[in-house]
Amino acid sequence: MRDVAIVGVGCTPFRPLTPEVNWKELTFQAAVRAYEDAGIDPRRDVDSFITCAEDFWEGFSIFDEFTPDQLGAVLRPMHTVTGDGLLGLANAVMQIKTGLCDVVVVEAHSKISELLTFEHVVELAFDSVYEAPLSRERDVHPYYVAGLEMQLYLHETGTTEEQCAAVVVQDKQNALLNPLAPYGTRMSVDDVLGSPPLSDPLKRLEVAPRADGCVVLVLAAGEIAERLCEVPIYIEGIGWCSESPWIAARGAEALYAKRAAQMAYEQAGITNPLQQIDFAEVDDRFAFKLLQHVEALGLAHPGQAGKLLLDGMFSRDGELPVNPSGGCLGAGDLIEAGGLARALEVVLQLRGEAGARQLPDVETGVALSWRGVPHGTGAVAVFRRRS
Amino acid sequence: MAFFEPMQKATEPRHWLGDMEADHYFYGAGVMGQRFFEALRDEGKLLGSRCERCDWTYVPPRLYCERCFAELKELRDVGLRGRVKAFTVVYVNKQGEPLDPPEVFALIEFGPNITPFLHKLGDAPPERVHVGMVVEAVLKPPAEREGKITDIRYFRPI
Ligand SMILES: [Zn+2]
Repeated sequence: MRDVAIVGVGCTPFRPLTPEVNWKELTFQAAVRAYEDAGIDPRRDVDSFITCAEDFWEGFSIFDEFTPDQLGAVLRPMHTVTGDGLLGLANAVMQIKTGLCDVVVVEAHSKISELLTFEHVVELAFDSVYEAPLSRERDVHPYYVAGLEMQLYLHETGTTEEQCAAVVVQDKQNALLNPLAPYGTRMSVDDVLGSPPLSDPLKRLEVAPRADGCVVLVLAAGEIAERLCEVPIYIEGIGWCSESPWIAARGAEALYAKRAAQMAYEQAGITNPLQQIDFAEVDDRFAFKLLQHVEALGLAHPGQAGKLLLDGMFSRDGELPVNPSGGCLGAGDLIEAGGLARALEVVLQLRGEAGARQLPDVETGVALSWRGVPHGTGAVAVFRRRS
Repeated sequence: MAFFEPMQKATEPRHWLGDMEADHYFYGAGVMGQRFFEALRDEGKLLGSRCERCDWTYVPPRLYCERCFAELKELRDVGLRGRVKAFTVVYVNKQGEPLDPPEVFALIEFGPNITPFLHKLGDAPPERVHVGMVVEAVLKPPAEREGKITDIRYFRPI
């Protein structure tokens, strides 16, 4: 089957508020940059467009009808994936691999600052008969589910609260070198541990602050990619998986991520992730999720990620850097754009365009997304710069 | 491409307020839900559905086994007692304001080979709650039960 590579990337900076543009203009900005980067005209050169969005985040019903114009996709093949950006990326990969399309554009955005009742929308994602009434009674914050999952993870793996707090410190420090990331800062493990509890053992500083932003990626079939750009970044494997939706079914392990990784690794020929992967970008909307996701990727044994993080293994100059972008904690929770933000960082690193945070000698990187509370859906993509 | 001066207030530019009209659905209980909620309201029992092939019980009961996809017909009473598998103490409401007193949520296991059950703990100071703690369901008095998940007020330690 044909190879698929990323030939263009574009984004807006990630920011807490973006009142100067509306959501369509935000997307337009990122799209123009991606098309410029790829050297293509969307009205002429793109065979298919994909947006990743969910009605309730957007405030529209049937949001997929609102997607073409800001991408240059009017009167062209276009569809919406109701899910994280990496799921849209998987669709694009399939369209190219089958030979149906040669060039495909994937877009995901967050204009979440315009949603005034975020917590209520999260609760509306809970089972309406058995789950939502429990938190609705006293207007309880729906992130209690993250607190519950964190407690289970700590209890069953022996991971400590200090290790989770260290994730926040590392992410926010990494974000200082990322001009796209709004939440970079220097802080200590004690600062995190001393922040007010949201849902014990989860502390407020362990929750990624939300951000607005848009990411657009341009994909092309291998032979076209080599013609279009100097350093195509190949998608060597992509996988996705959903667990049972019941909150009570979630375990200490991120099984959705583990299965998604297995699927992606099989395509990419990765049998020993620690040897074959140079760095990772993973969803960490809650600090413990970074550790759980690193374990799901097979980059640490279950329960070992926290200790290895404290040893420096996952820092920018460590053996296996994780979230050099700053992750969700440093770069923001971008809702459905989270997976593409992780993928964007992997591509920039592999191209050698990551500026002050550039990792040396990286050839293979992996991106992992998670759809957030209360869901158990994840996706994993393996990217490589071929020498 | 136009670049813009960053604004300080989200409300500075012209904007419109709106609602997603999602408050007026009704959600049916379904075949198994009907029986679960009737047993809870009328008999004060918690029912699960059991998959014989997998030797696995779902609480609340489901019409199908998510492991082998069999249609489930066998209902069993799982009792009102279980053990805490995981718990969290929630300190804030949706507005980020303090919840006083805090709310304790837990996953409760009624026994081996039964899915954990999500509910709240009560009559339990947060500092006393621990994994493995034996708890039992406190139901509303029969006259106050409506056939809802909140007919269980909470689980309390015994
Ligand atoms: Zn079964």
